[in-house]
Amino acid sequence: MTYEKIILAKSDGLATLTLNAPDKLNAVSRKMIAELKECWETLATDSTVRAVLLTGAGRGFCAGADLADPDRDSSATADSGAALDKFFNPVIRSMRAIPKPIVAAVNGVAAGVGMSFAMAADIAIAGKSASFLQAFARIGLMPDGGSTWFLPRLVGDARARGLAMLAPQIPAEQARQWGLIWDVVEDADLMNTATEVARKLADGPTLSLARIKDAMNRASGNTISAQLDVERDFQRELGKSADFKEGVAAFLAKRKPTFKGK
Amino acid sequence: MGETSDEPPLLAALDGGVLTLTLNRPERLNAMSRELIGLMIEQLDRALGESTIRAVLITGAGRGFCAGADLAGTGTGAVGADGKPDLGAVMDRLYNPMIRAIRELPKPVIAAVNGVAAGGGANLALACDIVLAARSARFDQAFVRISLIPDLGGTWFLPHMVGDARARALGMLGASVPAEEAERMGMIWQAVEDRELMPQAAGLAHRLAAGPTLSYAAIKRALGAAATNALDRQLDLERDSQRALGRSADFREGVAAFLAKRPAAFTGQ
Repeated sequence: MTYEKIILAKSDGLATLTLNAPDKLNAVSRKMIAELKECWETLATDSTVRAVLLTGAGRGFCAGADLADPDRDSSATADSGAALDKFFNPVIRSMRAIPKPIVAAVNGVAAGVGMSFAMAADIAIAGKSASFLQAFARIGLMPDGGSTWFLPRLVGDARARGLAMLAPQIPAEQARQWGLIWDVVEDADLMNTATEVARKLADGPTLSLARIKDAMNRASGNTISAQLDVERDFQRELGKSADFKEGVAAFLAKRKPTFKGK
Repeated sequence: MGETSDEPPLLAALDGGVLTLTLNRPERLNAMSRELIGLMIEQLDRALGESTIRAVLITGAGRGFCAGADLAGTGTGAVGADGKPDLGAVMDRLYNPMIRAIRELPKPVIAAVNGVAAGGGANLALACDIVLAARSARFDQAFVRISLIPDLGGTWFLPHMVGDARARALGMLGASVPAEEAERMGMIWQAVEDRELMPQAAGLAHRLAAGPTLSYAAIKRALGAAATNALDRQLDLERDSQRALGRSADFREGVAAFLAKRPAAFTGQ
């Protein structure tokens, strides 16, 4: 499938997915979200892809839903739940379920559901001038795209309430201090750093990374006792992988491992 | 004591959509008597019922916010059939209904923590949606010093706000946390200069009272559910709430104002 509002490029196990509506700070139109849904579904099953790098074209990462989208139903009876059900929620579910690490390179403003995309990624790295904004309450909505779930887990309940209700725009450095994102780098270094991280993950032990993701997903609803059982099961499975064998052999021989993702 | 003086132990004032509730037993650092909590529940009920109230601001009179249960007075409650104190009874009847009323109120609740918030007083503050504290205020999980556990939701709020490691330390060591450190930990939204506290808290409360009330109510419900929901379920909840909000007058106004680049005039409808 050819895309118009996103760009997908693949190279040696690393897929780079670029939101591509730079004149609108990559605001999400119906067309873009439909393409994203299709793209994440494809990436999940594409065995040549072992990590995904998500970023935005131009000076924004993603300005959230495109309120000026001509395809948007702006009538008083419009069903804003339908678009979530059909497109946005499947995208978030795919991002969390895909058994491969996702690195977000947040190159500019991440607002509304754009901020949800950044939080749904496994590792978010932002340029110093990037900013984060739960814009929803400013237009009489509530955070969506999983934000009401991500926020309290990333920054705690008190800050989650403040961010959602007061809708302040927070700079990348504060987002890092609060644990909302993994790291902040100079704007000029962002794409290099994020690509390096994503490359390292694409060359990494894919099964291990997938199970780390899965285990972290489960941890938030599990008791410690149930989680210990999850760890046992996943570790048992990973212990049978070729990458585990290679990892141990490389460690003992004091050489760099060559992981195949098997 | 509040009960014996002419002053009621809780003051309530409604102004421009903001109901300000002031704990008013300053000579006891606003330690909670049964009468005080009863009045608090009454006012929170009122806030629930009256549509002109669109935000609640809770603060303390004098130099303390709230010193917790009034151990010297009537705050601790009943004696059980075994002749020993039954702390559970007063929690069931008064303290827990107060905390539930704050968390379930479909309107934002702001705390202006003007001084020490100890024991149940700390957790009364943490139950509020947005907590501003004066720099000189402290949050003190004092319970362990009298061989109790953090109550009024403390054992829930702490791990959900500052993480499990800090929650255990705060609970077990009974540490007293200054406002700025509480902000750094994510226990509260913001610490401000003492003299700035009331103007800033009132400003915030009025801003929220002029905001999209239905949106705040949905945020409270959603964040309340998020703690135990799997992401999958939470996405469905967001869909349902967003669908309802998408039909509200405030959403129409919000989008129109955004596109016209003017401030939105929300009515709470």
